[in-house]
Amino acid sequence: MTNSFITNAVWAPSGKKVHLRLGKAGNSVRLDPAAATAVPDTEDVKGITSTDVELPDGAHCTDASGKLLLPALFDLHTHIEIPGRSKRECIMRAGEAAIHGGVWGMLVLPSPAFCFDNGAALDSFREAVEERSVAEMVPCGCITLGMLGEQQAPYNTLATTRDITILCDGDRAPQNLLLLYRAMQYAVDLDLTFAARADVPALTAHTYVHPGSTAYKLGLHPCPPCAEEIGTETLLRMAEATGAKLHLQLVSTAESVRIIRRAKERGVKVTAEVALHHLLYTHEDIGDYNTVFKTTPPLRDKEDGEALLEGVKDGTIDCIVSAHTPCTPFAKKQDFISAPEGMVALDTLLPTLYTKLVKPGRLSWAELIQACCVKPALIARPWDHEEGASSEVPLLLFDPSAECVVDESTLACGTLNTPLLGETLCGRVTLPL
Amino acid sequence: MPPWPRTASSNSPPINNPHIDLPAMPVLNEKDIQEALEKWTDHILAAAAQASSLGLVGLISHGDVLAQRLIRALELKGMHAQYGAIDITLYRDDLDLRAARPALRSSYLPFSTDGMHLILVDDVIQSGRTARAAMETIFEYGRPQRVELHCLVDRGHRELPIQPDYVAFRLENATGDVNVRLKELDRQDAVHY
Amino acid sequence: MKPRKDLLTIESLSDEEIHTILESAVAMKEIFTKSVKKVPALKGKSVLTLFYEPSTRTRSSFEVAAHRLSADVTTFTLSTSSVVKGESVHDTIDTLMSMKMDYIVVRHKNSGIPAVIARHCNASVINAGDGAHAHPSQAFLDAFTIREKYGEVDGKRVVIIGDILHSRVARSTSVILRRLGAQVAYMGPGSLVPPMAHTGIPQLKDWDEIFTWKPDVIYLLRVQNERIESPFFPVADYHQAYGVTEERLRRIDAQDISIMHPGPVNRGVELCDAAMDYRNCLVCNQVENGIAARMSILYHLTPATLS
Repeated sequence: MTNSFITNAVWAPSGKKVHLRLGKAGNSVRLDPAAATAVPDTEDVKGITSTDVELPDGAHCTDASGKLLLPALFDLHTHIEIPGRSKRECIMRAGEAAIHGGVWGMLVLPSPAFCFDNGAALDSFREAVEERSVAEMVPCGCITLGMLGEQQAPYNTLATTRDITILCDGDRAPQNLLLLYRAMQYAVDLDLTFAARADVPALTAHTYVHPGSTAYKLGLHPCPPCAEEIGTETLLRMAEATGAKLHLQLVSTAESVRIIRRAKERGVKVTAEVALHHLLYTHEDIGDYNTVFKTTPPLRDKEDGEALLEGVKDGTIDCIVSAHTPCTPFAKKQDFISAPEGMVALDTLLPTLYTKLVKPGRLSWAELIQACCVKPALIARPWDHEEGASSEVPLLLFDPSAECVVDESTLACGTLNTPLLGETLCGRVTLPL
Repeated sequence: MPPWPRTASSNSPPINNPHIDLPAMPVLNEKDIQEALEKWTDHILAAAAQASSLGLVGLISHGDVLAQRLIRALELKGMHAQYGAIDITLYRDDLDLRAARPALRSSYLPFSTDGMHLILVDDVIQSGRTARAAMETIFEYGRPQRVELHCLVDRGHRELPIQPDYVAFRLENATGDVNVRLKELDRQDAVHY
Repeated sequence: MKPRKDLLTIESLSDEEIHTILESAVAMKEIFTKSVKKVPALKGKSVLTLFYEPSTRTRSSFEVAAHRLSADVTTFTLSTSSVVKGESVHDTIDTLMSMKMDYIVVRHKNSGIPAVIARHCNASVINAGDGAHAHPSQAFLDAFTIREKYGEVDGKRVVIIGDILHSRVARSTSVILRRLGAQVAYMGPGSLVPPMAHTGIPQLKDWDEIFTWKPDVIYLLRVQNERIESPFFPVADYHQAYGVTEERLRRIDAQDISIMHPGPVNRGVELCDAAMDYRNCLVCNQVENGIAARMSILYHLTPATLS
């Protein structure tokens, strides 16, 4: 045990003042998988002591008055591939960006460059992460070979020999429902979670925005919300029928939230996530074809955003994710229809959550920690990979009074496709540990 | 009287008339202009007495108003002349030198100019470039037998080899811009510089 | 009027600009009556027509307009299939800009492409129709035609009929008419008329409601027969439900309503044959006015290549 302490920090979940002992044992909290909703209280946390307790003599203290202490975030939805850059650079930049945003670990979804449909790809990825990344990266295995939706990937091997816990074909589910159904049946025993974005591709092909005033004004074909809702029902029914664990990605409509709520009530093993941008922006932000706001699913109405946040608060939606997607400036400079979807959000994740949701009182710290730290980590189980590792997550200090301008110099992720560019965010992540 | 110039409807943009709020003192007043128009009318009567068909074509804006007044005066003295008005903007040689293109006004030339004796009427002649553009414009409507150029004011500073056939006032020593105001457009008759 | 480089949408124009362009279009139309139908205003300027979607009418209209202003015209026709897949529009424009064009008239199936091109080059970019987004020159010629017919647009009532959802003509024309003080209503098949909450434009249910609404102008949108791969509605019974039938033409005549259509007309679909010969059918006026409106647009834009 070292004798270094951080003193007078505020333990964010409870608001109590605490001291924290620095050192190998003292910089993390244990999550209790059995009680996913319980945030460890002060007493349960190794190395954290209440301010009532006297510090040992000769303790080396760093005063952290005014700063918040909280478990670092885990991000369940990231694409780390930067078009045109090497894999190593992608890994390095995503890792750095994550640390800026208070994220200690992330689920990396498969992409053309990181096609996790075989053991070798996973091995070389983990090796590169070990070598290059400052943040933990959990690869998400493919459901089908090459994510083509045709042949099942060898996920039995991936699960048993490479500790894959989640399967996903990028941002889409296989269109062949029979294939998915059989995969779910087969994977039940392997304790695998199927992550998929609900969609009916025939309804959403060549659509770009939510139906509404923006679609009318810009003359862009609207993407009917019912496509996502039908897809959600379909996936839920299949999961229910097969007993597979399902994680619904990028839930974006109010009706989807209600469908998931009903499913959870009848005991379907389902978890769900919402992208931060769906909580913060609406289709009206697209303005005059601002391609930064092009996302899949598209940005919805204000009512959808409110229903999603309500879902996060009542636990229907388990996690808030960054949906981090780097796009090159040239790609985003094209017209709205040709430009790729997605925005980067890792760098700014915790400051944005704080500035836009916690500070205005829309989300409490306890809710944020549930949705961004506890539940995502319990879904992805990053510790499965390491022999005998316990379900511990690191802690971070957050200075809510600091301000930071988002610009090229503060973004480590490698591209600039964020609507926050030029904005001032409150709060800075400091990592004393 | 021909239906030109039309009174500006509420739909039309406000005519940006720099003449209206100039503080400068008039060098010529209403009476001067009145007398000048009388002499001018007499000149046309004398010079164009033999012309079988006479047309007065005013250059928009101001030249057209002068042409109308001259036609009325000629009418009183028993001479009939056709009235026309042309907007020469599309023929200007300085369109690219301006930041924005000036708005166009409708030309009014309800008669064939073939074989006619035409008098182009303008308020001020300076460089001669407007007169050149007017000549080019008028020839695209037909082949007049004879074209004259009459101006209210000649303020010198010619840049082209063009001289008017008749000038009411010579203000060749004037410094700055010479502005002609006419009642129909600017609420008063006066010449300022 | 402040100099303007591009014409992308009607929304981007000030009231003054809309009035000036319409007013100048009147003067432009007078040029057609002269023995020499040409003015030297754009002498030495080059106009490129870049059509990624076939449209003989609009392209010819722009080309005639440019010729009458004495500009040099280059035609660049690309069918979408011949555009190399993956070639960015930026690269195409770079190639074209080395030809030192002053005006680019562009049509593309993707909404928003003209704005991208406009940001990327010095030439004045004129949107000749992008996806379902905007068709501002059509809007000007429509407003000009109504103004010519009635003396002014203010206070007129115009009903636009057809597939509003996929129509750039409906979007741009409704905007300019409303800016000029007209009242606009939409009528069309089912959900192909977006709700008033999205458009700000009231919906009429059927022809009976149209006649009760007492429009001055009935504007029929073209049914896009060529979009066969996934049609938005069956064309077979369109005429009975939404077209001007002979029976409706009698009521139109009785109420002295004008008929407009952006062309080309599908006879027997939007309009019956008799409607084309109807005394208040303004379709041919629209074509002629299209040239004048486009001349006025070309004339009033200031390419950045000049400064």
